[in-house]
Parts: sequence; C-alpha cells; structure tokens
Amino acid sequence: MKVTKMKGKSVDEATKSAVEVLGGKVEDAKVRVITEGKPGMLGMIGGEQAEVEVTLKEGRAEDGRHLLQEVLDKMSFMTMVEASLDGERVNLKVKGEDMGRIIGKEGATLKCLETLVGTMLGRLYGERIRVSIDADGYKEKRSKALERLAKDAAQEVVESGKEKVLPPMSAADRRIIHMALQDEAGLTTYSKGEGKDRRLVIAPK
Amino acid sequence: MKELVEYIVKALVDNPDKIEVKETAGDYVTILEVRTAPEDVGKVIGREGRIANSLRSIAKAAAAKQNKKITVEIITDEERPAG
Repeated sequence: MKVTKMKGKSVDEATKSAVEVLGGKVEDAKVRVITEGKPGMLGMIGGEQAEVEVTLKEGRAEDGRHLLQEVLDKMSFMTMVEASLDGERVNLKVKGEDMGRIIGKEGATLKCLETLVGTMLGRLYGERIRVSIDADGYKEKRSKALERLAKDAAQEVVESGKEKVLPPMSAADRRIIHMALQDEAGLTTYSKGEGKDRRLVIAPK
Repeated sequence: MKELVEYIVKALVDNPDKIEVKETAGDYVTILEVRTAPEDVGKVIGREGRIANSLRSIAKAAAAKQNKKITVEIITDEERPAG
C-alpha cells in the first residue's frame, strides 16, 4: 500500500491526482476526506480546496506484508517479512533478530500480531481477511510436532480400541490435529469442554 | 513506543485524525494514553477486548526489548477530565 495526501478543487479531483501520483487505479484507492472544500466565486476565489488522504491498495498479500513490516520496524526489531497467498489466507513469514520475543510464550505474541495485522488489513479492504504469521519457522515446527503427537495417539486408539482425550489446546492447534487425522480409517475426532478447557478426543469409529 | 501504538490505532479507526496518544515516562513504567473519537472506541477495544489486549502485548514485547515496562490505556469519553 502507498499513502499520500492531496488537495484539489473537489474531492473527486484531489482523489484523481493522488491516484495518478501513486501510479494506480481509482478502484484500488481508499479515500479519506480531510476537507470537503467549497466552490468559490469565479473559479477558486474565496473558495476552499478539498483535501483527501488516499491509500492505494496493492493486493492483500503485499499490503499485509507492508503493515506487519511497519509494525515490526516501529517495535525496533530488525526483520524481513515475506508474504504469500494461500487461497483466501495471507501468509506472512518473519525472519531476523530476536525471534523469541516476536514469537512469545507458546506463540502468544505471534497471535497478537495476527489479530492486529488481520484487523488492520480487514479495515483497509472492508472485509474479514485471515492472516497467518510465522516467525523463524515456529508454527511450521509446532504443527509438525502436533501432527506427530496426533499420529502416536491415533495408533494408541487403534491398538486399544479405547478413545483418548488430549490435553487442552487452542482452536488452531486442535484444527491441525483434526486435519492430520481426517483420513485415518476407523477413527473419528471431536472436541469437548468449553473455553480454555476444550480438549480434542480421538475415538474409534 | 508512541509511534508504534499510534500507527496501529490509526489503521483501525474511521477518524485517524482524532487519535491522540499521550506518553508519560515514569522511572519504572511508561504510560501511553490513547484517545479516539467516541464512535471509534469500540474499534480499538474489539470484541471482548481482543484488539486492546493484542495492542498491549505488542507494546509490552517492544518495551521488554529495551528493558522497559509499558501500560497502554484506552480512554473512553466518560473518563475524559473536564477542561
């Protein structure tokens, strides 16, 4: 995304020149009117110019990358953010120094960054956008570990014929396990409990 | 730290020019007070305080890197002192 302020005879004209300066299309512009302006007598005399702030969208992946990079820069972390699209979801990967602090305890800080950048991006596009942020491969490693845990537990259930209840986990973690076991024959998975105590159950079919 | 909070909050509201962030640096703790247009308060707080809590965590993580402590307060209009 690129942002600029522009004045003009009218809101429309100011917007048009801002878009021209930024080098994009009017349909990608989000316009905030600073002053409406007033038409004056005889052209501009006595009138007041309109002023707008135009944000030019450059695609949700690139805009998500830009927003996260700005946030990390302002947090004084030396990082590089890469972005990609996975269907509807924006995937952002962070590399750089001090990754432990960016990840936080059990990924808590990453989750907060996801909430904020996701909401900022959603506001820009006027719709809900799912954003996933990973730092230093943390999520990838964690999801591999969860998949291993799921397979081991599934094996146990197959052998014993009894259902197994896993420890409480976040929705994102449970989702990884549901997905990992969805194609296992003879098994089914569901969750029980509420809030922080919600646990996934692996049961024989 | 003020710049970080200001940047995030401005991207969340309808009236970014109404955002005021006041920074008070104490010996142990820095306090950031965020004021918004009355109709934008909910956007900064979020459902069940999700946005505000995330904002606090991020500010804390940034402050911790500099061995500092920080508190972020979102001021609603009723709390605004007269004058």
